[in-house]
Amino acid sequence: MSATPLLELRGIDKSFGPVQVLRDVALTVHPGEVTALVGDNGAGKSTLVKCISGIHPTDAGEFLFNGEPVHINSPRDAAALGIEVVYQDLALCDNLDIVQNMFLGREKRSGIVLDEPSMEQLAAETLAGLSIRTVTSLRQHVSSLSGGQRQTVAIAKAVLWNSRLVILDEPTAALGVAQTAQVLELVRRLADNGLAVVLISHNMNDVFAVADRIAALYLGQMVAQVKTTDITHAQVVELITAGRSGALGLTDDSGGGGNGNGTQPADSISGGHR
Amino acid sequence: MSLTDAGAPERAAGNAPSDPGRQRRGLTERLLAVRELSLLIALGLLVLVTTVRNDRFLSGQSVKDLLLGCAILVILAVGQTLVIITRNVDLSVGSILGLVAFATGSLFLSAPGTPWPVALVVGVALGALCGAVNGGLIAVARVPALVITLGTLYAFRGIDYYWASGSQINAADMPPSFLRLGNQTVLGVPVLFLVALVVVAVVGFYLRSYRSGRELYAIGSEPAAARLSGIPVGRRVFAVFVASGAFAGLAGVLYAARFGTLDAAAGTGLELQVVAAAVVGGVAIFGGSGSAYGAALGAVLLTTIGSSLAVLRIDPFWQQAVVGALILAAIGLDRVLALRVAARLRGRSAHGA
Repeated sequence: MSATPLLELRGIDKSFGPVQVLRDVALTVHPGEVTALVGDNGAGKSTLVKCISGIHPTDAGEFLFNGEPVHINSPRDAAALGIEVVYQDLALCDNLDIVQNMFLGREKRSGIVLDEPSMEQLAAETLAGLSIRTVTSLRQHVSSLSGGQRQTVAIAKAVLWNSRLVILDEPTAALGVAQTAQVLELVRRLADNGLAVVLISHNMNDVFAVADRIAALYLGQMVAQVKTTDITHAQVVELITAGRSGALGLTDDSGGGGNGNGTQPADSISGGHR
Repeated sequence: MSLTDAGAPERAAGNAPSDPGRQRRGLTERLLAVRELSLLIALGLLVLVTTVRNDRFLSGQSVKDLLLGCAILVILAVGQTLVIITRNVDLSVGSILGLVAFATGSLFLSAPGTPWPVALVVGVALGALCGAVNGGLIAVARVPALVITLGTLYAFRGIDYYWASGSQINAADMPPSFLRLGNQTVLGVPVLFLVALVVVAVVGFYLRSYRSGRELYAIGSEPAAARLSGIPVGRRVFAVFVASGAFAGLAGVLYAARFGTLDAAAGTGLELQVVAAAVVGGVAIFGGSGSAYGAALGAVLLTTIGSSLAVLRIDPFWQQAVVGALILAAIGLDRVLALRVAARLRGRSAHGA
């Protein structure tokens, strides 16, 4: 684990009209780690992700990328920094094949026409680099893939661009047991390859299976960010549902003081996962 | 479906551009090829049967008439293909054709000395303008293209009727050089058909080899995914309607050159024939698949059916029923193909599991 976090958010505020969705949110994401972002429906997970990926502008707060302050105003800015988001269902086009999907919107060209051989080769290398062995043909339509394979392709698409931070929005929500295991294994491998991974999930088993750190949002506030090894299943559930658990989470004098990661010693410990 | 073929990606990485790479391109391409091949076979059978009944069907004049007859429909069908691929439809092409044809005639009427290339450019520009109206309304109103173009179908036709106000333009009002464009042949092939061929080749190449062409398929396949991938969906759809309008404009000018006699009713009802040609040609109405070549073949097939039924002495009233049956058969064929491919892929992945 490196000392500087890849992405650090400080004091992010976001309102939609009169509704304040994010309040003074802080988040640190380290390369080589999976950070699970948990929270109940409406806690602000998706909004936070959309702020990071440049879809929503933030009202206040700082972004630090690799220690440098940056401004992310559009998805293009995020992509330029190496931030890629894998959305739950919306990632792929059914009528296009795997290579076409992986390069969608960013096709390689030789001159002015598409450069199919080099795109195919790059796609194959990326899949091989992730040890993805489940697809038989790169030229098969995505509509013919299983849910797990689709998710795999969507993740590979995000990795293709030398991305440094990959955000996965509930990648296992619609998958069966075997496929979930397969996707989680891939998520773990991304982190082991040195990428920073943010995993949004409702499934505690998934979170404890792959995450190194857990960041819990409660009603738009970041109530805790701790290492997975320092917290139990039940505590996470408490944080999600009540915003506090023992010494963790919101304190009684409340307001903004509850940003758990400020007070937790979690950052000082390095080492393995799980 | 796990670990079916541990070596596959590595192998692919090793020699993607070479032979096995070619072979693996397969599925998509083969499916398309099959689709176009079946059209060619149907067309061949039709010509064969008709020729057996009456050998003059393949005489030079008859073939020339056939090519001349299908050229305009081919151009319109190719324009429509661009639109349908993005999961839209343009029903106003018949009216645009009528309006542009009449405008071309009026241009020659009011400025007799106009060289025909100028008329061509003006016609295409007017068509593109009509297409821009379509595209603009769709972008602003955020209403399905079906409804907007249904509206402009009547609006453009209404303008046409108002402008013509019952008058007719005759061949005598147009310069001979322009009319020759409609009937001249090069090595026995009508110029009109050559123009159509160029349109097919250009659009076919564009869809296959250009980035924005690929993006049209993505938009029709999954608009949300296309948007998230950074594709300017609104701009592409607008451009597609402008292109469709421009092709309808081109077809309108050629229509004027071919028929010479123009009134406000030119091209009435053509839009459904155009959509039919595209669908028969394998352009899926739900967007995301199909090719310009297929649509062009569909247009040729529909035109050929028209003339061969006449040769076969089949009641012309049956013609529409035959076209309808053909559309249903085409849709059925697509469905069967899709199911078979899906079944085969399922079978393949089931082996590994």
